[in-house]
Amino acid sequence: MRRYLRLLRASLRLSLLLAMQYRWDFIGHGLMQLVWTSLGVLPLWIAYQARAAAGLSALGGYSFPQALTVFGFFTLLKALLDGAINPSLTAVVEHIRTGTLDFILLKPADAQFLVSTARQEPWRIIDAATGIGFVVFGMAGHIHQGGAPPGLGALLGAGLLLLCAMLLLYSIWILVICAAFYVVRIDNLSFLFTSLFDFARWPRSVFRGALHVLFTFVVPLVLMTSYPAEALLGLLRPPQLLLAVVWTGLLLCLCRLAWRRSLAAYTSASS
Amino acid sequence: MEIRRNLRAYPTLLRIGIAEAVAYRAELIVWMLTTTLPLVSMVLWRAVAAEGPIGPERFSAGDFTAYFLLALLVRLLTSSWVLWEMNREIRTGIMSQRLLRPVHPLVAYSAENLAATPLRALLVLPVSLLLLYLYGRSEITKDPLLVGAFVLSLPGAWALTFLSMVLCGCLAFYIESSLGIFHLWYTTYVLCSGYLVPLSLLPGPVRALAEVLPFRYMLDFPVRLLLGLPGLQGSAAHAAVLSHLVVEYAYVAGLLIAVALLWRAGLRRYAAFGA
Amino acid sequence: MASSGPIISVERMSKHYRVHQRSAGLLSALGSLVSRRHDIKRAVEEISFAISPGERVGFLGPNGAGKTTTLKVLAGLLHPTSGSVQVAGFVPQRREARFLQQITLVMGQKQQLLWDLPPADTFQLNRAVYDVPQAVFNDTLAELDRLLGLSAISRIPTRQLSLGERMKCELAAALLHRPRVLFLDEPTIGLDVSMQVTLREFVRRYNERFGATVLLTSHYMDDVAALCPRVIVIDRGTLRYDGDLPGLVRSIRPHKRVTLRLGGTPCDQGRAEDQLRRVGELLSWDGTQAVLQIGKDQLREGVAHLLGVLPVLDLTVEDPPLEEVMRDLFERSAP
Repeated sequence: MRRYLRLLRASLRLSLLLAMQYRWDFIGHGLMQLVWTSLGVLPLWIAYQARAAAGLSALGGYSFPQALTVFGFFTLLKALLDGAINPSLTAVVEHIRTGTLDFILLKPADAQFLVSTARQEPWRIIDAATGIGFVVFGMAGHIHQGGAPPGLGALLGAGLLLLCAMLLLYSIWILVICAAFYVVRIDNLSFLFTSLFDFARWPRSVFRGALHVLFTFVVPLVLMTSYPAEALLGLLRPPQLLLAVVWTGLLLCLCRLAWRRSLAAYTSASS
Repeated sequence: MEIRRNLRAYPTLLRIGIAEAVAYRAELIVWMLTTTLPLVSMVLWRAVAAEGPIGPERFSAGDFTAYFLLALLVRLLTSSWVLWEMNREIRTGIMSQRLLRPVHPLVAYSAENLAATPLRALLVLPVSLLLLYLYGRSEITKDPLLVGAFVLSLPGAWALTFLSMVLCGCLAFYIESSLGIFHLWYTTYVLCSGYLVPLSLLPGPVRALAEVLPFRYMLDFPVRLLLGLPGLQGSAAHAAVLSHLVVEYAYVAGLLIAVALLWRAGLRRYAAFGA
Repeated sequence: MASSGPIISVERMSKHYRVHQRSAGLLSALGSLVSRRHDIKRAVEEISFAISPGERVGFLGPNGAGKTTTLKVLAGLLHPTSGSVQVAGFVPQRREARFLQQITLVMGQKQQLLWDLPPADTFQLNRAVYDVPQAVFNDTLAELDRLLGLSAISRIPTRQLSLGERMKCELAAALLHRPRVLFLDEPTIGLDVSMQVTLREFVRRYNERFGATVLLTSHYMDDVAALCPRVIVIDRGTLRYDGDLPGLVRSIRPHKRVTLRLGGTPCDQGRAEDQLRRVGELLSWDGTQAVLQIGKDQLREGVAHLLGVLPVLDLTVEDPPLEEVMRDLFERSAP
């Protein structure tokens, strides 16, 4: 365990060094990130603005501050996606394409761990902070409008669900990597997932019917952002919490299984 | 001389491009899945407008359906990925190989991009036309002049997409590791082309910006033509169509000049610093 | 671990691949979704050998012979289709951490160094990955620096290093955990001759210094000749020779190559040529210099005869060049 922490530290250090190699990215990203992330709230704002202008009430039962809380969790997870997951994915796909994955498989540490911690983009921490800011802002607005402040149970529930959300994101991404073992030119899969993930910024009540099922179970965006936000707002019921936890566990098992299978296929088939 | 040589090579480039598109069909399909995002936007905005029409143009749920289905269609017919390609090839030095060939790299890029269109159309047209027929029929214009203008606007929309991407791509000559460049382009595109929401719903300043930038002609304008230019009637609509088409192709010409200049300057720098 | 037994043993090991057959085009792509045709490619077919600790062994064979496949099986990157493989007391394909700790694989065509950072940073990463204590790490690095001269280059970003410098650092990165078994796959590919000699010399000294076992494949016969007392030849997946290099040469080309420089007048040329042809196969002849190929058994007799009848100024006896021997070997095995 300590050994893996050390490994993580070594990898973080390298990522920091790498990030500083490309100065423009380091400075530019940091600053631009703030602007882009704030712009991300725009669709939400437009929708609420337009509805208010047309004399319509809250969207699908969510007030604007509540929707903002969901958006905060979205920004937080997006920071994880862009800051740790996508860079590593890109690195692994490159390894598979060029055959240097062999070097990773030869290392005396768990290959999945090495692959998962391959690369980070440290400046994304700004995004994460912005996300937390939105959560706090949304909660403040919620309380201001007469909502109950979160109790200990709500905080714990939200924390647990946030952890689930991160693990869900991680599992999906491992599954994407597994796909990369079979279809090599797959750079755009990450782009596809990033674009899909954009819909997680909306409160779940926006999605109806089949789309709601799709985003709850197949691409569990709803579990990732709406659930933790609802837990914090005191709207989530225990069975839903259980669902999120169970589903996270299932997906984690699935991704570990898929990883093993892909690796076995890789080592028994490729040349 | 140069131009004629490039023109002569073009049919062959296109043919090879089509063969390549077929070879990398898995990749193409993932790309196309990416571009089906308007379908999700559609569901979303239908929910926003479920209880009644919203926005300055009073978009109803039905309007949003037609809007986003058309947006999907236009995006698939006019999209390009030259920015990714350029970015990668400049950074890895593959660009040098391209420069050795007697065909201008930008000509080759355009052929590669255009060549993917038939296969994409083959895969996407039936589905989107069917959806359009089922759900958005009543919102689509029956004015033959507008339909004609739509067809005319498409090549311009493609050219603008392609040229604006090349323009951004040229930045890769100057900035190391420029994945940010793609995000710059994409975010502006998403916001200012009407891909995210119809332009009329954007807040004042952003909307003002979007109306000045060429991005609106890549998506919003063609879509609006088929929607019968909401807000305009009869001869006023026809006059607006003409002026918009002129502006669209003026933008194409302007971008062409800008690309030529920036490309040349970028190459000088590329040659000086190498790859 | 008992030091007396072999450190690598391979018994009747085979590796077959399934390759999908598909012709170009959209229709056949659709067709392949329904039914796929497979072909079995036999990369390695029932090879057996054993290598003792500290040996340096060269793997020879033409492209596609199965050399890299064998190395990858030994390193645990590929599962053998059948047969058994043991390296340092482990079954490689299980990829146990304790096994991986003892081996290393260097591939001349691929690199593990981080492209945008100096090699020193990759060294640090490997220190963490292999869990090498700082003191041991410093010692090893100092030793490698002494042998390879790294200090001047290990602080420069990898992308700015020359191929040779990069290969030095690749080797260093691969050896920081002091592996007992080295798999080197074309480590000198693309390098100039002096750099080849440097690396070759380094591998030999490393082997002597640490008693590590070395298994090497190379396109350059000189590498193998200079480095490996023992060679294993595989061709199209099957083992064709296992033994020392002179033995290989003897078995393929039981000839010696005799170069003679003759004095005397031009009018004797015709007669001289007759005499030369009588003794062996005349490979080249320009009137003063002749290259003859003579069977080993006839060598003494033939040379003595020529010295008697011809005005010989100079005479050398050599083995045929290694490259020729190999060409001979692989041409002979071709169908």
